Amino acid sequence: MSFRIPIGPYHPALEEPYKLELVCDGETVRDATMNVGFNFRGIEYLAERRNYLQGITLVERVCGICSNVHSLSFCQAVEQLTGAEPPERALYIRVILAELERLHSHFLWSGIAAKLIGFKTIFMACFTLREKVMDALSAISGNRVNYGMNRIGGVNRDITDPKAVLAILDEMERGISSTIIPIFLEDKTVASRCKGVGILTQEQAKAMGAVGPLARASGVPQDIRKAAPYAAYDRFDFKVPVETTCDVRARLVVHALEMIESCSILRQALSTLPEGPFHTTPPTAARFKVPAGTAVSRVEAPRGEVFYQITSNGTDIPERVRVRTPTFMNMATVRFTVLGQELADSPLIQASCDPCYSCTDR
Amino acid sequence: MVTATAGFENTLKELGLGEGWRWDKGSWWFEPAEHIDVRDTTEYMRKLEARFIAITAMERPDKEIRLDYQWDLNGQLLSFVTATRDHQIPTIADLSPAADWVERETHEYFAVEFTGRESTKPLMTRAGDAIGINLHKDKEVAK
Repeated sequence: MSFRIPIGPYHPALEEPYKLELVCDGETVRDATMNVGFNFRGIEYLAERRNYLQGITLVERVCGICSNVHSLSFCQAVEQLTGAEPPERALYIRVILAELERLHSHFLWSGIAAKLIGFKTIFMACFTLREKVMDALSAISGNRVNYGMNRIGGVNRDITDPKAVLAILDEMERGISSTIIPIFLEDKTVASRCKGVGILTQEQAKAMGAVGPLARASGVPQDIRKAAPYAAYDRFDFKVPVETTCDVRARLVVHALEMIESCSILRQALSTLPEGPFHTTPPTAARFKVPAGTAVSRVEAPRGEVFYQITSNGTDIPERVRVRTPTFMNMATVRFTVLGQELADSPLIQASCDPCYSCTDR
Repeated sequence: MVTATAGFENTLKELGLGEGWRWDKGSWWFEPAEHIDVRDTTEYMRKLEARFIAITAMERPDKEIRLDYQWDLNGQLLSFVTATRDHQIPTIADLSPAADWVERETHEYFAVEFTGRESTKPLMTRAGDAIGINLHKDKEVAK
């Protein structure tokens, strides 16, 4: 006998709203339907009714976790339209912010994953480490969430004491190496809970256009930082972890290894931060006009590729702002990953996609 | 700033993706005078193992909707520019499942009918809500 089980939009696993309808035979999931849009704010519509400077502030509020990547993508697109080339120091600072953001997002995800696995001690450990990242972000930008760092032609604030950030980085790296890596990669309980669970095959990942750690855990080696480097990513040496087992465990491993790579990028960037200005002078005028044209920008957010396309009609208000977020592509894969799985595993499987509904709904 | 890979337009030609590609501000653009057959293009891009990224819609002065079909081919961003006829264009969601949500969203924002779909269920809005959200031209600037 089949049961239809509605889950959400108030959700037991995550604080974000979406609705999943599962059809189960006993404990086995046979079908799944995803409903989103509960947090729809019409960000694209709103961005086409504000000037470019207001647009930066608006798009930073697309997401509460990866806010920086949205303002970065927006600014990069406008810089292509205006020709405002950010100075080298600004490009390094953008990388530092992006990697700190990736770390705090991955710590958040790891903590939630650990909690759903039933490993609440690791949840606490992840959030303790995440606080250190938040401290670093707060020290640099003055904010814990929406950093307000990106501007057209550079960044708004300098990193005046890279050594202090390096000291925080040392602590974080020790925590990752001593706690997260051994648990996620070697612990038998974690392996038995996650191995073979929530399979997304490489073919399914490609067909659904999956991006980020979800795709990389399904053997798709794509990362915009490598494929189409932006900011200063082409100056740094780092690996793109890829796993081929396509299950929840592979997603744990990819996230954990990416944290190590983020630390490596941060160490390189902070150690070699070039001297010089951190932004070009314009624009400060409220009525900042952008030459007509269309520009595209892609950034590797913690959850995968963010895509922005901006069309200017020559005024101070964009004609079109297109925002495509990673979870928008990734979340539709849940209908594959939960099929044939135990109902009790579905919260972990959903969370393993690292979903962000604020981004998805915009 | 992401720059063009030198000579990539020749690679695109050799891959059978036609002539006339131009690099501009972050993407390779293919914008022929006539409408593109989006279904043929999708089948070909899937054969090339390209990754579907997005459809970007924008209203034209003649009230048709310009549609940019964006794909990633080995890290290069390719944009195929076409437009609707009477606000209609064939679906590609059956050929590239990644386009399903994108088409549903574009239907809601720009009232584009993707012909050949079994249904176009609301994604961001709810059943009965008006479509064409982004077509409203009350472009008030927030002070």
